[in-house]
Amino acid sequence: MSASAASTSQPVQSTSAAVEHTKDDDVPHLGVLEEDDEFEEFAVADWDDSQTDLAHLGGTAPGAAKSGGDKLWEDNWDDDDIEDDFSVQLRNELAKKKGNGGGPEPMQH
Amino acid sequence: MASQKFSVFLTQLAASLREEKGPELAYLLKPTSEHGKALVKDFRGNITRQSLSHYEGSLESPWDEIAIQYVLVVNHCGKKRATEAFKEQCTLLSLFLRFFATNSGWTLPALFSILRDLRDLAFDADLEGVSNGQEGTASMEEAARIIMKAFSNCVTDRQSPIQESRKWGVYYVVGLILKCYFRVKRISLSKNILRAIEANPDIPPLSQYPRAHQVTYRYYIGMLSFLSEDFAKAEQELTQAFYNCYTGAHSNHERVLTYLIPLRMFRGHLPSKELLQRFPVLEDLYSPFIHAIRTGDIRTYDASLDRFERRLVDLNLWLTLERARELCIRGLFRRVWIAAEKSTRIPISMFHAALLIAGQEEMTAEEAECLVANMVYKGFMRGYISHEKQMVVIAKTDAFPRLADRPAPFAMLQ
Repeated sequence: MSASAASTSQPVQSTSAAVEHTKDDDVPHLGVLEEDDEFEEFAVADWDDSQTDLAHLGGTAPGAAKSGGDKLWEDNWDDDDIEDDFSVQLRNELAKKKGNGGGPEPMQH
Repeated sequence: MASQKFSVFLTQLAASLREEKGPELAYLLKPTSEHGKALVKDFRGNITRQSLSHYEGSLESPWDEIAIQYVLVVNHCGKKRATEAFKEQCTLLSLFLRFFATNSGWTLPALFSILRDLRDLAFDADLEGVSNGQEGTASMEEAARIIMKAFSNCVTDRQSPIQESRKWGVYYVVGLILKCYFRVKRISLSKNILRAIEANPDIPPLSQYPRAHQVTYRYYIGMLSFLSEDFAKAEQELTQAFYNCYTGAHSNHERVLTYLIPLRMFRGHLPSKELLQRFPVLEDLYSPFIHAIRTGDIRTYDASLDRFERRLVDLNLWLTLERARELCIRGLFRRVWIAAEKSTRIPISMFHAALLIAGQEEMTAEEAECLVANMVYKGFMRGYISHEKQMVVIAKTDAFPRLADRPAPFAMLQ
């Protein structure tokens, strides 16, 4: 019993060590987003709409999302058909509760 | 001690003044230019204000002194004496402002260039100070203070016709001052200058200024609003900054988008794949969060908060993404509702179970109930809780309003 406890705790430890490692070393470098960088001087003073992201808005004002004509932002992204482990687990859980009658748990005493 | 080259320089200065050629004037006064270095060389090391003083009077005041000042700045720059170079550039600017204040907007290119160099030299001077064991940002603060004078000189132009007004310098100069304040982390000082802009209604509208000035100004206003938690204003300003930014200025574009993305998330606007692909750094940072919000994957959301914590804290973004966790919980609860085939009655225990499966092992049933109540209160889901029956009664229509339809997405964040 104690031996099996030791053998199961072993991988857990190494996993948590790996997590530590990930956090310290593998945080992606954010390039220009390092704190010390700042907003740069523009090389030119002025430019046309065609050289900005206004270009693909077709005249609508910035601030909208896809349904308002701006393909850079999604606003209809709620998904009713996600199928993954989580959905399966949720449905199992629901079935269990239905099995219990679906109502509040009966009193135990 | 006469210098052939300096005489030529004086002649060139005089010509650009006579012909009112601002960009040429700016070019002549660049401390890093080749002609500057050649000037210094021509004086063969004998460069002090004293030794150059016999040139006073060789141009109409203050240009004789500005010319001398310029040689002093270039000399210090060449010898990597940043603190001295900065001090001499401050004097050069003060002299220039005497001329600027009585002339029209043709002088603005020279002003911008002198201010830009002043700020760069302040930056170097502070670095030099640090490497000599001094703490602080004295030079940058001094730079902000004297750039403020240039601001006043722009605003107070009452003579020039509007097309030639010094007022066209206002937003460039303000952008530079804000940049100084951000550098020295004294952004509360920004209020003074913003108040000064408001107090001068005869400053032309921002939209009439060159885009570089507009975008820089809006970026800083957006950031100030963001840091003071006025998220609605921050979102507006950064949206304008993003859409008016020159797409070739990638790092500025990326910097604006860094703050715009989380703000847009609260509005239910998630960046499209197309947008993120243009900014791989932001794709790395934000796609885990975005995917988690879409799928209600609170476990990945929390792991990402943890993983990026240090960077997000450095960028002042951690708290914002921590608050956006609610959007992910909404996604999780929505999935419960989907799994229950959009039932209008779902036991609280079902939401609790979902939270447990999603990795919230410590969560008690009471806490789960509280979380549901909170989501209802904040308008993320429509319905009510029957506490006695331990049941969530969910609205038949629009049970989980689209995030994009919430009337005041930032209202609950303060």
